[in-house]
Amino acid sequence: METQSLVTIVPWTFIATILNLFLTMLLVKKFLFKPINNILEKRRALSEKELTQARAAREEADGLKAEYESSLADARSEAAAILQNAQREAQVKADQTIREAEQQAAGIRTRAEADIAQEKKKAINEAKDEIGGLAMDIAGKVVEKEIREEDHKKLIDEFLDKVGETT
Amino acid sequence: MEFSIEGAKIFARIHTGIPILGDFLITETLVVSWVVMGIILVLCLFLTHDLKVEHITKRQAVAEWLVELATNFVRNNTGGTKFDALIPFIAALFSTSIISNLICLVGVWSPTADLSTEAAWAVVVFIMITATKIKTNGLGGYLKGYTQPIAVMTPFNVLSELATPVSMACRHFGNILSGIVIDGLIYWALALASSALLGLIPGAVGRVLSQIPILDVGIPAISSLYFDWFTGFMQAFIFCMLTTMYIANAAEE
Repeated sequence: METQSLVTIVPWTFIATILNLFLTMLLVKKFLFKPINNILEKRRALSEKELTQARAAREEADGLKAEYESSLADARSEAAAILQNAQREAQVKADQTIREAEQQAAGIRTRAEADIAQEKKKAINEAKDEIGGLAMDIAGKVVEKEIREEDHKKLIDEFLDKVGETT
Repeated sequence: MEFSIEGAKIFARIHTGIPILGDFLITETLVVSWVVMGIILVLCLFLTHDLKVEHITKRQAVAEWLVELATNFVRNNTGGTKFDALIPFIAALFSTSIISNLICLVGVWSPTADLSTEAAWAVVVFIMITATKIKTNGLGGYLKGYTQPIAVMTPFNVLSELATPVSMACRHFGNILSGIVIDGLIYWALALASSALLGLIPGAVGRVLSQIPILDVGIPAISSLYFDWFTGFMQAFIFCMLTTMYIANAAEE
């Protein structure tokens, strides 16, 4: 079979090689670079999207956390306020109760004292009456004379008052 | 036994009658370069079918790696994204070159063992370099560049400019051809040696055995690691590297 010489430039082969080189470039570009670069671009876009989403989610979570924390703090202070109120009210009520009880006790005592005083007075009066009667009897026996109780009542009373004052 | 090495076979000759260009020769070089293009096309299609954004296959990972390798190669050597249009060209050049270089391992003629191939590539690169220079400095600036630093230097500058494509083509061609020549020589010498060695056996046995080049098994496998694999890879790499560097340099003011 005919062969070309070992070191030579065949013009048609030269031209064909140039065309082949550019044809190969187009093939490589269309069938390797274009699809792969597409995929790489898509992946880059996807990862960027996910990153943005993750960032947004974190911001949202941060916001929620702050909200929760503030509402928790609110709840805590509210609870504290309620507790304080309750304590104050209880204190007030207790004070009031004690005061009422004291008043009541004071009233009872006053009444009791008044009763006692009245009783005492009554007893003294009774004793006076009795002593007056007795004195009348004794005096009647002493003077052997009927003393009219009504006539001498005044006299006896004066006497008894004197007796009461001295005792 | 004679040793001879010949150029690419001519399968057909189409008479054109055009002067200078001569007859259109369907040579081994052309046919194998079509095969190489076919291999590249099939590889591209195989690597890129069924692409996914997530959970990628090993095949897709290789394809992405190759694309990023080519992209980074061009970007690193030109220092930026200005020459991104060059990436598929460099990728095509490199893949054509390396497959052409390595295809001789399966006993097929390497298109790169024909100077026509490398000359064509070098001329394309030369035109690109010149176009980049003219685009950067303008035609006047480009022509003025030949008279730098003094007008006397003009012939030497023209010579050095023309030496670029010639040296690129000859470097690549010479390395591949010499690899083929040396491989051929090693096979030939080892066949002679085994013939002489086995011929020592007396009688018919020796005559039969001496026809079998038993020593051809082994040593050529090791020598081809350098002469075919390493050289094939290196020359493809150097050619693409020089192309990128020259074009990047041409773009500097």
